[in-house]
Amino acid sequence: MSWIHKLYETYEQCQGRDMAGEAQLLPVSHAQQQAHIEIALDAQGGFKTARLINKIETYIPATEQSAGRVGTKPPPHPLCDKLQYCALDYPLHGGKKPSFFNEYEGLLNAWCSSEFAHSKAQAVLRYVHGGTLITDLVDAGILHVDANDNLLTRWTGSGPAPELFRMLTPNAGERDQGDAFVRWQVWEQGNPCTAVWEDTSLQKAWAWFDASTKTLKGLCMVTGVGETALAENHPKRIRHAGDGAKLISANDSSGYTFRGRFTDKTGLQACGVGYEVTQKAHNALRWLIHRQAYRNDDQVIVTWAVAGKDVPDPFQDSLALFLSAEEISQADTQSPPTNVGDVGQAFSLRLNRAIAGYRAKLAPTDDVVVLGLDSATPGRMAISFYRELKSSNFFERLQTWHRRSAWMQNFGANRQFIGAPSPRDVAEAAFGRRVDEKLRKSTVERLLPCIIDGQRLPRDLMNSTVRRATNRVGMAHWEWEKTLGIACALFNSYFHERDYQMTLETDRLSRDYLYGRLLALAEHIESRAIYLGGEKRDTTAAKLMQRFADRPASTWRTIELALTPAKSRLRAKQAGFLHKMEVLHDGIVASFQGDDFLDDRKLTGEFLLGYHCQRRELNSPKVDAIASTTEEAIAN
Amino acid sequence: MQQHPKGIWRFFMVNPNGIEFKVSARHALFTDPLTKIGGEKCSYHIPTYEALKGITKSIYWKPTLIWVIDEVRVMKRIRTQTKGTKPLDYGGGNTLAIYTFLADVEYQVRAHFEWNLHRPELKDDRIPAKHLAIAQRMVERGGRQDVFLGTRDCQGYVESCVFGEGDSPYDVEGELAFGLVFHGFDYPDETGESKLHARFWQPTMFNGRVTFKRPEDCTVRKYVRDMGIKKFGDQNLRGVEAEAAELED
Repeated sequence: MSWIHKLYETYEQCQGRDMAGEAQLLPVSHAQQQAHIEIALDAQGGFKTARLINKIETYIPATEQSAGRVGTKPPPHPLCDKLQYCALDYPLHGGKKPSFFNEYEGLLNAWCSSEFAHSKAQAVLRYVHGGTLITDLVDAGILHVDANDNLLTRWTGSGPAPELFRMLTPNAGERDQGDAFVRWQVWEQGNPCTAVWEDTSLQKAWAWFDASTKTLKGLCMVTGVGETALAENHPKRIRHAGDGAKLISANDSSGYTFRGRFTDKTGLQACGVGYEVTQKAHNALRWLIHRQAYRNDDQVIVTWAVAGKDVPDPFQDSLALFLSAEEISQADTQSPPTNVGDVGQAFSLRLNRAIAGYRAKLAPTDDVVVLGLDSATPGRMAISFYRELKSSNFFERLQTWHRRSAWMQNFGANRQFIGAPSPRDVAEAAFGRRVDEKLRKSTVERLLPCIIDGQRLPRDLMNSTVRRATNRVGMAHWEWEKTLGIACALFNSYFHERDYQMTLETDRLSRDYLYGRLLALAEHIESRAIYLGGEKRDTTAAKLMQRFADRPASTWRTIELALTPAKSRLRAKQAGFLHKMEVLHDGIVASFQGDDFLDDRKLTGEFLLGYHCQRRELNSPKVDAIASTTEEAIAN
Repeated sequence: MQQHPKGIWRFFMVNPNGIEFKVSARHALFTDPLTKIGGEKCSYHIPTYEALKGITKSIYWKPTLIWVIDEVRVMKRIRTQTKGTKPLDYGGGNTLAIYTFLADVEYQVRAHFEWNLHRPELKDDRIPAKHLAIAQRMVERGGRQDVFLGTRDCQGYVESCVFGEGDSPYDVEGELAFGLVFHGFDYPDETGESKLHARFWQPTMFNGRVTFKRPEDCTVRKYVRDMGIKKFGDQNLRGVEAEAAELED
């Protein structure tokens, strides 16, 4: 089904079901604005009280034109608007800006005299007809005037500037109080809902009226219903408040983007979408992006269940997935089981439980949608990725991704875990921390099908990460550790059918794996000797790691020769340790098959796995703790 | 799976005047009309009727006949790929856009032709065996004109094939719905009325196959604009006998 139809469905399913305190779905024919002043009226339209509010985001009724208003003659909002629009007496008090009261009053009047009139709107209309708005607000101490009863544009009185002056945006040092945005409360007898922005009956009444004014009728290409009111403009501000990019826009009065077979400039020949559909779909998209999207610059990728339930973000690493899963299913927060054989098993169990937590909330046939947005220019937005999956499929793929790409990760003191890295971390591991934004975007995008469609990892990404993990000289220690973990994870994912274990496999006899183990051993011996000698320097093994990866057999000779002084030192001080190491060394060398040990060809990423596992095996878990679960798992 | 008889006779038994071909390309872009007007084109996941009809017309077409697409079979897993593009502006310069293509596509198509009854002037040309023979020859030669999938940027290749042969990753995937999708245009020279309409339908893919509705069976239509009919006749058409006679002189 098309993306816009899915969004529309999501709106229909989630409307009215959102929790208090969370971002709400915007009603149709409404817009969001920051209000400065709240005015309370009685049911007859008499002024009661007014107060300053600190730029609270408010849902206000809006027309299609006013929602996207710009320019010198901006169209008015019908109910809540700036003083410049609402106040008849704004020019009388020396208002610097043009008054748009007539337009405002005309629109509100049209609504109030239609069959869709609402009592609250009528009260507001009666009040603004009185023309005392500015006077009332001055009396209430909210607006400030000078001796001639003109509105101040800068604070001249003594003491600190009043609050309103601090809220308004200055233009060349002047703040026009006519810019203050008003929202209304109407106190009606027996109606506890006084706020116009919370009154759903008012919202509906406005939406009906707004729909009744639509003259453009035609086929909606989303629902297939003919003779519906069509949208002339599609909403913007999709990704954030300052976002001017539109998903649907006709952008062609002079070029030939779509013209040819179609001859009009508006794009209505080529495309028509129902007003209600586009409003709801865009509102749903905005809401989803705000709640749960992965965002990186202009790129937004949002994953959601049409039924409105929680779904795991495919852009998290496994740790974040576990934490968020444990958050949503609080019932299931007992400590992870400790009596499991190896690290991989503990991880699988945790992963299964995390996914099961999400799975339980969704029926297997519920739809999950992944939508990627990006824009090349500020004015337009493109759909860069779109997938619909059944939730069972989605969870299966996500689980597969996390399982296949799992490795022991060390992202710093508090971020040690077993699992898959996030796409963002993969991009950094493959191309460095200062990766170009475009490259980062496209890398994330290339990883999407690997997660969502279960495709194999791109080989170049894996290779690049392995190469960087090998070249440890250029990186800080923590960064190298992180890259190493990710490189192992990616290699593991790429060759998942080889079934690498997350513990040392002494029975794996491939050349690369064994060479990796040898390198870890050499590093371990030398670093112990360095420690005993009270020195601080890199080991030869660490320094030569890259050369070792390119020419293992010949480099191993250099590394082994460099071990001689270290061994002498250890023989004097820790003979037992040295003996153990030498036995291990002989064991590894003896495991090489045929001429493997003499083979000087380049090593593949597999040697990193051997290296990493051997290193973990040598260093006690206390020193190289991965996660508490792991420690326990190994202890058992 | 439906069992087809073998050889040339199967065409007549399954569908007289029918051809079957395979079309493959590195990219395809069957633009979703919602994204067409902005210029950031995004492809549908399956080919539209009109795109396949265009491909068939590139293989072989005469104004005497109308191609009707019966069925398409998706032979490779649907993958998308985005590319930053730099479309030229008509007035000079360029803009930037992101196109979302289908990547690495292959389809098997089954189509047949019918006479265009709105062209009585070409009545003498309604010789089924002749057109079928040419069409089949042209399938084997990869078509007469450039083949492209949806958008001119996406060149493709036509080969002959037996519809239904070979494995598709969707063979056991069951049903997949796509919502309201563009079907094709009702061009005046095929409908007889001087109006251009766009047709829509709700396709479902069952085990990788999409069986197309016939154009006249699509109920959702959108009026686009008035359009005239191109006339073919003595001025711009020439009989093959006359051509042959002239060549012999």
